[in-house]
Amino acid sequence: MHLLDAVPLINALILGLSIASIWLIAALGLTIIYGTVGVINMAHGEFIMVGAYTSYALQSSIGLPFLLCLPASFAVVALVGLVIERGLIRYLYNRPLDTLLATWGVSLVLMQGVRLIFGSDPKYIAVPQIFQDNLAFGPFGLSVFRLVVIAITAAVVAATAWLFYRTRFGMQVRAVMQNKEMAASFGIDADRVYMITFAIGAGLAGLAGSLFGVLAIVLPTMGTAYVVQAFLVVVVGGGSLVGSVAAAGLTGELQSVFALFSNDTFARFLLYVLIVVFLRFRPRGLFAVAKARR
Amino acid sequence: MLLALDRVTSYYGKTPILKEVGFDLPQGQCLCVLGRNGVGKTTLLRTIMGLTDRASGAIRVEGEAIERAPTHKRAKYGLGYIPQGRQILPQFTVEENILLGTFARSDGARGVPDLCLSLFPYLAENLHRKAGLLSGGQQQQLAIARALATNPRILLLDEPTEGIQPNIVAEIGQTLRRLNRELGITLILTEQHIKVARKLGDAFLMMENGRIVARGPIGEMTDELIERHMTI
Repeated sequence: MHLLDAVPLINALILGLSIASIWLIAALGLTIIYGTVGVINMAHGEFIMVGAYTSYALQSSIGLPFLLCLPASFAVVALVGLVIERGLIRYLYNRPLDTLLATWGVSLVLMQGVRLIFGSDPKYIAVPQIFQDNLAFGPFGLSVFRLVVIAITAAVVAATAWLFYRTRFGMQVRAVMQNKEMAASFGIDADRVYMITFAIGAGLAGLAGSLFGVLAIVLPTMGTAYVVQAFLVVVVGGGSLVGSVAAAGLTGELQSVFALFSNDTFARFLLYVLIVVFLRFRPRGLFAVAKARR
Repeated sequence: MLLALDRVTSYYGKTPILKEVGFDLPQGQCLCVLGRNGVGKTTLLRTIMGLTDRASGAIRVEGEAIERAPTHKRAKYGLGYIPQGRQILPQFTVEENILLGTFARSDGARGVPDLCLSLFPYLAENLHRKAGLLSGGQQQQLAIARALATNPRILLLDEPTEGIQPNIVAEIGQTLRRLNRELGITLILTEQHIKVARKLGDAFLMMENGRIVARGPIGEMTDELIERHMTI
């Protein structure tokens, strides 16, 4: 095979990596909230949306540089998550169906609330000129901003893994996940663990929203566009961090390669069909989390 | 009095499992709780740890009332719990399981205590092994090590010899005796093996249907009492 024939495929793989990083960062907060707290957070897409609006608001009002908008969005949405957890979710931990309904309600409130404050017209987040360039190595290319997203996703995944597998807090989280009663019997406050984890998960959604506001336009309904992919990644991965990384990588690359031979829409259709077939044979995903909590 | 229970009634749902139980446990004693299956021995220990749905009555550790405190705060009063079935965390390594105990310490120490390693050489040599791979006896050692890592004043042991090979039963009995006699740790244990109870205990409680039906120094635990309350 001539080298030039491989160029489109390699470009598709590079784009696939970019798609994977976007889906992964969209799914990261959902993963740790589902994997740890056991709550299926229907408001995840709206946490992403609120993150995008936070960045937009801070940029347009006080002119905060984009790179500082990222941690600011994390902090603001983490706080929103904290309030929602303390005010609502914590009363529903033993009632999974009710959390589904309650978080869906939260998503509607957030969407309408943002619409009331900011209106329904699209907003834009500006980035430094350098992020708008395209990077090219011979026939291979990718926009600088997509590279930034890949780098930030990698850094955030590494930081999350460090938090959960290398710190005392992470040990508390993993102890609560395995056996809540035993964790409590040895001095671990499961309530506090859930609260902090939920806030971190919400914050990660906010950070993702800040990035997505640059990739696309900022709208009150933008969350729904990402939340489907986020749920797919979590379900295919099985709810663990390593599962989500693997699932995002796999589905992102497949989407990109399928699109090479057809188009985006058909590629997505094909991917969804494959996922349905996959879940038929592995209903608990690639890496299932053991459930022993009460 | 190190541990005192006064008229404690404990519920699962609306059903009282433990009824009007009271006893005093002085520092350094070993109290054996005896009785048939299902009389409330496990519930007694779970009530002290705050793991039942609801309880009334008073529980004091060195005069401090703990009955209102949630489980994770009770652990910090120096209660080291060794539950029925061990309940070690299978996905954690041996080391992580022992370190779990350190979250209940009040002195802030964070390492694996030397005592755990010197008492259980097998654990010391297998710190990085997944705990789920250990045998029953090794898991029981790990459960004891985990409770010791809390720097406990009282160890609550629920059937420590249940489901363990006979040669290991004696070994665990010796370890507990050492902890009690040499290190002065107060023990409260539920037990089916009369032999182990006689060897270890200073005092006994006999339970039936959620109530204490007999009590006294271990010397007063007559065969007639055992016949009446423990044989089926």
